[in-house]
Amino acid sequence: MIMIRRLLALSNPPTRRLLRRVLALVTASAILQGVVFVVLAPFLTALLSGDASGTRFWLAVLGGVVTVYAGVGWFTSQAGMNAGSFLVGSLLEILGDRLVELPIGWFSTDRSGPLSDLASHGTVFTSAAPYAIVRPLIASFVTPATVLVGALCLDWRIGLVMAATVPLMWLAYRRIAARVGQADREHVAAVGEAAGRVIEFARVQPALRAAGDNSIARQLLDGALRARHQATRHFHLTGGAAVGLFGATVYLAVVAVIVAGAWLALEGGLTMPQAIALAALAVRFAEPIANSGALGGGMAVADNTLDQIQSLLDQTTLPEPADSVRPSDHTVRFESVDFGYTAESVLHDLTFEAPAGQVTAIVGPSGSGKTTITRLVARFYDPDAGAVSIGGTPLPKLGSATVAELVSPVFQDVYLFDGTILDNIWLGRPEAARAEAIAAGRRARVDEIVERLPQGWDTAVGEGGARLSGGERQRVSIARALLKDAPIVLLDEATSALDVDNERAIQEAFASVSRGRTTIVVAHRLSTIAAADQIIMLDASGHISERGRHDQLLAAGGAYARYWQERSQAAGWRLAADSPQPRPTRKDNLHE
Amino acid sequence: MVAAAADPAPAPELGLFQAVGGRLVVIVGLSLIGALTSVVPLIGIVELARALAPGLSGDPVEASRVWWIVGWSCGALVVSFASAGASAIVSHLADNDLQLDLRQRIVEHLRRLPLGWFDQRSSGLVKKVTENDVSALHQLVAHAIQDAIAAVTVPVVSLVYLFAVDWRLALASATPLALAIVCFVLMMAKSAPRYQDYDASLVRLNQATIEYAHGIAVVKAFGEAGRSHGRYRREVSDFVRFYDDWNRDTNRFATLGELVASPAVALALIGATAAWTVSAGWTAPVDALPALLLGVGLTAPIGKIEWSAQFLREATKARRSLTEFFAQPTIERPTQPSAPNGSDIGFEEVCFSYDRDHQVLSDITASAQPGTVTALVGPSGSGKTSLARLAPRFYDANSGTVRIGGVDVRQIAATALYGQVGFVFQDTYQLRATIRDNIRLTKPEASDEAVQLAARAAQIHDRILRTPLGYESVLGRDVHLSGGEAQRLMIARALLTDAPLLVLDEATAFADPDCEAAIQTALSALAAQRTVLVIAHRLHTITGADQILVLDGGRIVERGRHDQLARAGGLYQRLWQNYQASPANFGQAVAS
Repeated sequence: MIMIRRLLALSNPPTRRLLRRVLALVTASAILQGVVFVVLAPFLTALLSGDASGTRFWLAVLGGVVTVYAGVGWFTSQAGMNAGSFLVGSLLEILGDRLVELPIGWFSTDRSGPLSDLASHGTVFTSAAPYAIVRPLIASFVTPATVLVGALCLDWRIGLVMAATVPLMWLAYRRIAARVGQADREHVAAVGEAAGRVIEFARVQPALRAAGDNSIARQLLDGALRARHQATRHFHLTGGAAVGLFGATVYLAVVAVIVAGAWLALEGGLTMPQAIALAALAVRFAEPIANSGALGGGMAVADNTLDQIQSLLDQTTLPEPADSVRPSDHTVRFESVDFGYTAESVLHDLTFEAPAGQVTAIVGPSGSGKTTITRLVARFYDPDAGAVSIGGTPLPKLGSATVAELVSPVFQDVYLFDGTILDNIWLGRPEAARAEAIAAGRRARVDEIVERLPQGWDTAVGEGGARLSGGERQRVSIARALLKDAPIVLLDEATSALDVDNERAIQEAFASVSRGRTTIVVAHRLSTIAAADQIIMLDASGHISERGRHDQLLAAGGAYARYWQERSQAAGWRLAADSPQPRPTRKDNLHE
Repeated sequence: MVAAAADPAPAPELGLFQAVGGRLVVIVGLSLIGALTSVVPLIGIVELARALAPGLSGDPVEASRVWWIVGWSCGALVVSFASAGASAIVSHLADNDLQLDLRQRIVEHLRRLPLGWFDQRSSGLVKKVTENDVSALHQLVAHAIQDAIAAVTVPVVSLVYLFAVDWRLALASATPLALAIVCFVLMMAKSAPRYQDYDASLVRLNQATIEYAHGIAVVKAFGEAGRSHGRYRREVSDFVRFYDDWNRDTNRFATLGELVASPAVALALIGATAAWTVSAGWTAPVDALPALLLGVGLTAPIGKIEWSAQFLREATKARRSLTEFFAQPTIERPTQPSAPNGSDIGFEEVCFSYDRDHQVLSDITASAQPGTVTALVGPSGSGKTSLARLAPRFYDANSGTVRIGGVDVRQIAATALYGQVGFVFQDTYQLRATIRDNIRLTKPEASDEAVQLAARAAQIHDRILRTPLGYESVLGRDVHLSGGEAQRLMIARALLTDAPLLVLDEATAFADPDCEAAIQTALSALAAQRTVLVIAHRLHTITGADQILVLDGGRIVERGRHDQLARAGGLYQRLWQNYQASPANFGQAVAS
């Protein structure tokens, strides 16, 4: 029943209407089926007693009820299958609309696997639920109830025997549900752990070849697999015992009715046809209930899918203004900003201004929150305290849509869509002419990449841009930003080493995109840092330790000067066989 | 030729299910007993009617016979229920053992795959095989056997009994079954050809969802405000249309089949026939009872089979995918392993390609003396990374020989080989285990002092002490390491492994611009007094190398020391000049 309520809650209005109709029809046909079973009893009684007119009468009633049942069944089935299609569409639509609203932070762990499973298998399975699962479930409950009412009308004593088993079933069910639930939770946890270990084991393979047959990783993995095996075993045994207990009480009802029927028939309270008809009724009473156990598995998959969609809907999203304002200029300002992804904060009381049309470079040790600053400007998150504003208006007042219009991000881990190079540039401004998109590509030095590709601008880049190197992908994304021509540009320089050609091309592309725009760059290249209009130097705990131009800061001889010194020295590192090995300290020697 | 034997390919067909073994007989036996005895109570009701029948005409009823029948019926009911339950539990436990066995075999197979296999997107595949595919077999072992036996046994036994009692009513009972089978076959005929399209459209939907999740930042920044990813929307509407069409096409036969197979319709048909044959005097009233009791249940298995058909389809696909996985060629292992003698490395006429079409390395002959640094230099795509990866056997050469300490690498047992060849590439192979276990992964017997010494030399000891539990902190749970920190942890591991030959990607030194100096100190410590083979990107790092191999198009085009090559007028001189002019060299220019 909970599942039905959730299905309704997670549907769009037309689907909900259709689902309600299906539910009504399903209930009607379950009642009708019960009525058929009940009518069978007087029919059998008449037939077995050789009462020809009674037989004809009850046959006519049976025929009438079955005709109605068939009619209702036809519409139920049609409506059920239609509801399935509607439900798939509805669930996928809700999923798609929700993803774009979710804060980017939610995607920071890779969600693509579970999401794609959810979108394809989960929704299809759930769409079958109203018909393939909910219907038999309702039938397993409504049909026996109808039969029970019929039995009470036909013979109150037998009816009471049947009814007496119902509380037993309910008690059995209550006992089971709690235990199975607990075993299921342990099982799910063990499955997650083991699955993670297998993937880890594969990922770490290169390092494990030196570790021999019984490595630490292998032991961890074997332990997780065995724990999973144990948990699954326990789950099956608990589940088996549960189904057994429940089934046993159901069959107890049949046994009780047969015994009571036989006794009443022998003692003369019941005629043979009546006793037989009631025994037949008891079989029909128990069958659907006993079969309902087998549906549990399908239920769990559907339930799981609904759970996942519900948890997406439960995520909090960023507030959006009713109507957005336009900022007067494109200065980006951080005012006493505090921010953390978790309870641990990354930025503390950060205040600075990135003047319109100038390049601001953010520099600092890893973990100091450099990239976080660009994410806040793009409004992937809102700060915990303080405000980020453009042209004096805080971003929540501008709204995500306006921020997206004003800001072009060029991130480090560029993701390209599976289309052509030009398609990916075009994303920046879909209404641009082809020539404009190509021009933007030229300015970002994508033309050099395109020259060596078979289909030029129309070469497919593969999933995620796999056919291009990291540096090449970043050039395409700069072209995208150039085409978009937004007044604010966020650049996140690649930390990894690039080959010489890419290095040069990206420098030129960076220069091209930052010209005349408010640019905030998370800078790693010394040349980028030295050329910035303003440098913001962060310390390890997310505070600003210094700000100014390169030559000023160098002359000041503070944290930046030390940073520069260290980086410059690192850049001069040489690898040689005679590299001096660091002498062990005296303390180290003590351990030897 | 090298005398090495490939691992014998597993016999996949029989092999997959070997863990189920003898229990198959038990499952089949119990299912058979369960199915056969399920018919007995219904026959018991018929016999009860016969035993009570004399009472109708006032004759005495033999009470002991009545109780004897009641006893047998109830006993059969219990046996049927118990054996079906036992069969379900045995088959679920067998499936659980099968899953453990398969996962362990997958793990064993992973250990034998060439390391190159793990380069590509292997995580996704490993997850699919160990989780989705193995779990999909569940239906096959845990449900299909029992379902199939019940689906065949119950109708066959029932029909035999019905024909023995009254052939006319038996025919009437068989009619709905026959009609339902016709409908089912017609539906499958319409449905089956579309399964391929269905799978294809699911795959497209999957890809669109994955792309949506991976590219969420781009969708938010460049997509239409507040709208989901365009490709996702297109795939969803295509999929829903397909699903709806498919449903409509098969809907009619499915509904018809369902109605024909429903107990209500069967009852009406059998009831009408019974009324007719009884009134015509062809059938004794009591002989009409079997059909009315057993005839109704004949079609029940059809619904069950339809329901499990989709799971079976998944299971079949999973079996194919598992068979494919186990057929992945494993790395050749030496039949009579030899021990390398020294840390020198030699390539003799080595040719290599990933796909046998496009030659990556051709006729590479080179050697490196113990304790020297050999640098591999060349434009991207020249084959320098591939060549370096042949030494630790990420791949094997297609022809020619790679020798370490004078012995063909294919003749060295894995542990001996990786005791001799260490490697530090840009990937960090971290394990969700304590920092201590991560460092001593390849030397589990190493003392705490040795672990600390390695961590100190790798410049990571202080960082470890700052983690919540120090060396006992679990990576990924208690502490997340930055790129550069993880890199230094790998260096500590390599120091502890202490392989005399080191293959190094120089990009590692620049992997994290914020702690370059620390990584470089660590690398220098690691490289000291070893034979080093380094893939070089920033040329100044290797100006002191003992030997530089310049690659172009998979061939060695120049070799020598830096000062010779820089003036030789060849490729190296051009690369060097480019490098000096590039922004990558900016810091180097500042430093010197």
